[in-house]
Amino acid sequence: MKTTLRQVLRSPRFMIGFCTFFLLLVIIFSYPIFNPGDPLEMIGLGTFFKPGTYVSLYDSVDAPRIYTLKLADSAANRIAAKLLPQDRVDMKDWLVLYGIDEETIDIEDTRALLELWWRNYDPDLRIDGMIRARHNAYVRLDRKLNGLFNSEDLTILRPNPETGEIEELLVVKDSDYVNLQDVVNVRVLPLGTDNFGRDVLRQLVSATATSLLMGLIAGTIATFIGLLLGLISGYVGGWVDDFLMFFINLFTVIPGFILLILISYSIGQEERSATTVAIVIGLTAWVWTARSVRSQVISLRNRDHVNLSKLSGHSLPRIILTDILPYIASYVVMAFILQISTAILAEASLSMLGLGPKTTEIFTLGLMMNWAMKYTAHLNGAWWAYYPVILTIALISFSLNLMNTGLDQVFNPQLRS
Amino acid sequence: MKTKWIALLLTLCLVLPIGLASAGDMVTELPRNETLYFGGLAWSPAAGWSPLMGNASNWANDQNGGGSRTMMFETPYMYNAMDGQLYPLLADGDFAWNEERTGIVYKIKPAAMWADGTKVTAHDAAATWQAGFSTPQANANWTPFVADVVALDEETVEVQATLVDGQPANSLMVTQFISQQYILQKAWLEALMERTGGDPAAVNIDPGDDIMWSGPYTKYFTDDTRIVLVRDDNYWGQDDSMWGQLPVPKYLVAMIYADNAGIKNALVAGEIDVSQAFIDNIHLLWEAEGLPISTFMDEPPYGLCVNMPTIFFNQNVEIMRERALRQAIAWAVDYDAINQNAMTGQSPTFEQVPRSLMNPTPGEQALYHRDDPEIVALQWVGNDIDAANALLDEAGFERDADGWRTFNGEKISLTAHCPFGWSDWEATIEIVAAAGAKIGIEITSQFPQESAFYDQVVINPDSVEFDIFMMWTNSTAPSEPWGRIRNLLSSEWVGMPNNWSGNWGQYTNERADEIIKAIPLETDPAALMDLYTEIVKIYLTEVPSFSAMYRPDKFHAVNESVWTGFTEDGDGRNVPPFNCVSGYAIADLYNIRLVGE
Repeated sequence: MKTTLRQVLRSPRFMIGFCTFFLLLVIIFSYPIFNPGDPLEMIGLGTFFKPGTYVSLYDSVDAPRIYTLKLADSAANRIAAKLLPQDRVDMKDWLVLYGIDEETIDIEDTRALLELWWRNYDPDLRIDGMIRARHNAYVRLDRKLNGLFNSEDLTILRPNPETGEIEELLVVKDSDYVNLQDVVNVRVLPLGTDNFGRDVLRQLVSATATSLLMGLIAGTIATFIGLLLGLISGYVGGWVDDFLMFFINLFTVIPGFILLILISYSIGQEERSATTVAIVIGLTAWVWTARSVRSQVISLRNRDHVNLSKLSGHSLPRIILTDILPYIASYVVMAFILQISTAILAEASLSMLGLGPKTTEIFTLGLMMNWAMKYTAHLNGAWWAYYPVILTIALISFSLNLMNTGLDQVFNPQLRS
Repeated sequence: MKTKWIALLLTLCLVLPIGLASAGDMVTELPRNETLYFGGLAWSPAAGWSPLMGNASNWANDQNGGGSRTMMFETPYMYNAMDGQLYPLLADGDFAWNEERTGIVYKIKPAAMWADGTKVTAHDAAATWQAGFSTPQANANWTPFVADVVALDEETVEVQATLVDGQPANSLMVTQFISQQYILQKAWLEALMERTGGDPAAVNIDPGDDIMWSGPYTKYFTDDTRIVLVRDDNYWGQDDSMWGQLPVPKYLVAMIYADNAGIKNALVAGEIDVSQAFIDNIHLLWEAEGLPISTFMDEPPYGLCVNMPTIFFNQNVEIMRERALRQAIAWAVDYDAINQNAMTGQSPTFEQVPRSLMNPTPGEQALYHRDDPEIVALQWVGNDIDAANALLDEAGFERDADGWRTFNGEKISLTAHCPFGWSDWEATIEIVAAAGAKIGIEITSQFPQESAFYDQVVINPDSVEFDIFMMWTNSTAPSEPWGRIRNLLSSEWVGMPNNWSGNWGQYTNERADEIIKAIPLETDPAALMDLYTEIVKIYLTEVPSFSAMYRPDKFHAVNESVWTGFTEDGDGRNVPPFNCVSGYAIADLYNIRLVGE
């Protein structure tokens, strides 16, 4: 046993898979401690806030100290952020269409370009042949450029709660800064928000835990059924084997995922809790485990120690449990690991089709993908709503499969080096 | 050798049908610069072309108060949601009430022709009305308001109003009738009646493959992916008394997609030119992606928000008859989240337009006493969890050990439904469910397929399979807001199977019924305002249902990769953003041009 364990731990594949999986588990258990709260809480009004640190503008005004930093490139940064290279080209295009000589336009000279623009651009003027969307884009560009060179101070006003009069609260210079640590309300959203305004990372951690749990339940059920049928069919043989194989073959020819879709649909959304979906996945995923276990058992049933056990009058369950099962235990463990991985993928696929668990109380990786797809995150550039989910599914699958391959290398005599 | 030949023959047998099928597809390939593609106007293949069919599922024959589609069949007048006016189509000039004010009289345009070259006459209008009695549904909604349609001579039509005490039961509904209902050819109707024997069941399923049309387009072909219309170059409307030209696109194609996301993909790719689908964060398509896509307005809410998708409570379910529970759910819902997250800001908020029974248009908002303190006190803005919890506590809804509320000792567990694939509605239902959780009411969202949803909500009035559900309201029409109020509150719909009109929650209120009957007969504006105010109070107090958002009647986004010149806010053309086909919006088909022309 010790030797086997040492061999397993020496397998680089197993160790990479195990460490990845273990890391995921650590994150699942530790993240809620550092960032507690309801993963389904809708905190953002608006969809797909991008990842980053969100600082309360309201509280920034009340920061205990305003710092002055004279940064040489602050004005240039401000202009660069508003006037992109493509904007300069677009401005030139419009000016040429308007009738300005192309030779006189220097898009590198910001001040000259803007002055030329402001002198000539009229948002109410429709250039012949220009489509509306383009015209609107120029109106928005002009609005964006408005006051670009302004460096006047900003004045923040506040109504006096007692008199109702507007009073000056603060005058902000372009060299004024606050220290982030002085602002009371700062929220870090490492993966932004989703379409409901939920913290994606918090949700992702919770969904990963749910998906893993579902995988565990489904994997256990599938492995148990497959193992049971495989053991009986393989060991007993005869008409029992024929009957069970007929039953197993029936399920083999029906595509498992189609069966899964049909069962999930007929159950109805109300009844589709995470556990129910996991059970359904488990009930449809046992087929190949049963076939493989049966093959293994057939190769074992005529071994000497089994025959000896039979001659000793041991009961069928005892023979199966003590003389057969230990010899295929490693195989069963590997099958179990693969079943978990397959079940997680099945849940994700089901949820993508809208047949996943009901969503009121719980979220899964598949449901996150489902809502990201419904609100077309992939077209909105909101990569954080779906890419980390894909990565997590891939990591779970990758780590479990690596562990499986690592174990295979140790236990499979044909692969053993 | 022989075996080789047999093998070759078998291979050809397999390959040839594939080649032929591809060739078949090529035949239906339409020239892009002559074709206007639409998304979101057809959701399933067409079952037929007859407007008398029960469920033709055909975008070419949609008749509704906000503007009937007149590409193939035409109405006497076109409704324009921009100014609330009727513009003549088959009719010649303005309509007029007769001297006794018992009916509307209009004339048919002398130039108006059927596609077979025969004239459209007043007899066609009268025959269409009569044929409506041979269907289960065509006239059912009209008979309370329209008594008869009579041909006074070849050209003159009189639409006689149903009278109550010598007055039209609702003069606005008579006006709506002439802008909503098609005129069909008498000769075709006679042929239809002959082959069906006038049996309503047979008329209801007759696809009308031989139907005659008067509009600028006619059927071309339909399959599982599209319904195609082709221009009739002999269209009478090129006469100077109507449009003076043919519509610009030769083909109109309604593409069929599974959901809003599919339509968005197609719009982004330029596969469709006009989209009537909710597209989340639509501004990003032009702001971030720089695509040649625009909406009627360049700023939120981007369209004419005249509809009020509504959350209904099913009163067949005992617990849904508990007013406190309905109120508490309505108060707890976070409408800002619906606005910003479900609708992605494409809707005015309930702070901007306080809730009532009126849509946000200034005309409707002026119809009730908005400053009445009693009304103001009732206009909740939502997310008021404390008030909702206090209301439930007071009403005796106790909590169990897990914090869930109970009713008669059992945990309250409700379901909330809307059709699958309607993403903004689905997100709204999720937000309603989240509000329930905050006040201890378990609400589970369910998104059945559209047909299954209608089976539950529309077809079976006694269904107890659902507790909460989302449906639309009337948008804009000559008879609004009365029509919307009637459809939200009138008990005349209670117990009616196959009810597509309203009050799907089966709510009854005697005083509301009285007011709904009284409003059309009231001529004094002050008294009318009092009636509208009273019914708004009833609605906001009883909460039989509640508006979740304001929403455009038709989403209207265009991709100008191929076509340009679509209607836009402030362009002075007064064409509503109704996808170039509904009501007066069809004027857009005569205005658009190819990009670069």
